Amino acid sequence: MIANLTQDLAPVRAYSARDGAALLAIAGGLTVVGVLLIDGFWHGVANGEASAFFWVTNGVLALLGLASSAAVISMASPRVGSRSDAPLWLGAMLAILPIVAVLSVVRHQHGIEAIAEDMYGTYCLSHALFSSVLMFASLTFWLRRGAPVSVNNAGWLTGIAAGALGAVAYGMSCSMDSVSHLGVWHVAPVIIAAIAGRLIVPSLVRW
Amino acid sequence: MIADEATLARLMVTAQKGDKSAYNVLLSEAGLWLERYFRRRVPPHQLDDLVQDVMLALHNKRATYDPDRPFLPWLAAIARYRWVDHLRKVYKHESDLLEDNDAIEESDEEAIAARVSLERLFVHLPKKQAEAIELVKIEGHSIRETAERTGQSESAVKVNIHRGLKKLSALVEKAE
Repeated sequence: MIANLTQDLAPVRAYSARDGAALLAIAGGLTVVGVLLIDGFWHGVANGEASAFFWVTNGVLALLGLASSAAVISMASPRVGSRSDAPLWLGAMLAILPIVAVLSVVRHQHGIEAIAEDMYGTYCLSHALFSSVLMFASLTFWLRRGAPVSVNNAGWLTGIAAGALGAVAYGMSCSMDSVSHLGVWHVAPVIIAAIAGRLIVPSLVRW
Repeated sequence: MIADEATLARLMVTAQKGDKSAYNVLLSEAGLWLERYFRRRVPPHQLDDLVQDVMLALHNKRATYDPDRPFLPWLAAIARYRWVDHLRKVYKHESDLLEDNDAIEESDEEAIAARVSLERLFVHLPKKQAEAIELVKIEGHSIRETAERTGQSESAVKVNIHRGLKKLSALVEKAE
């Protein structure tokens, strides 16, 4: 067997996290261009109109997306002793936002239904999910080329990374910057993408 | 004697560039390391198959080795992954018992270290799950025998194996 494998040896391009990051950056760049072409750029982001909660939400989403992406990129080259707890803590931070959103509508004596009645809610949800597709595909492609040994975790993290970065990319076009809107409709895509990742990715990257 | 970490890493980097002689040496050394790594956790007649399976995985996934990192943790992660996969597939009513290899193993520090490395996966499992996997999947006892020996019901043994294997696969990289 050793002789056969030796005979079969051909040079390979060694794993480099930079390659994975570059792949994701290209997918992210194309996504941003697509968002700008389809939904446009909300100028409130540039001229200071955006609320503090807008920056908090998108900041946490971006950190979660980047930490999860880094974990996924690293998973392609396995090793005993590898730990990636950052997405867990950032996910916990993100989970605070929907709670704050619900508390805010209750505090202002609106019912929970006020969130569901948000006329732009499902629009933002679907567009943020659509914005995550290319990054989801690029991370899955990266894992398929690699050797992930925790395929279920890889699935969750791929979904979380793509969902969070997709929500940030789309978020640059959304002028709804209220607590109740951002805390629910811009966080929900992360949860949906995470579930999709857990369901879709493991069977594609198992080896 | 198996080559040290630095030598193995150097051989792997050279092999990634296509050096066949370095690769030949690396595969021989990795094969020896894997035999020791698995010896106490796989029945002897399955050892060769599992080692070859991991060697094939090493070959197919050689590009995923990061030259900036140590070699053995990478190989151990692949070995654990294939081992958990092997446990899933292994015939449930395998009757051959694991032979006692203490005399060989205890004289070799490296082998003990390798064994500990696989043992580290088990310490993270609840006792009943570890016991069920150990008896059924490694020692080859039937579900019924295991239920009698452990005092668990047969369905509990099956559930513990299922949950234990799921947890093992999630621990492949984390447990050290």
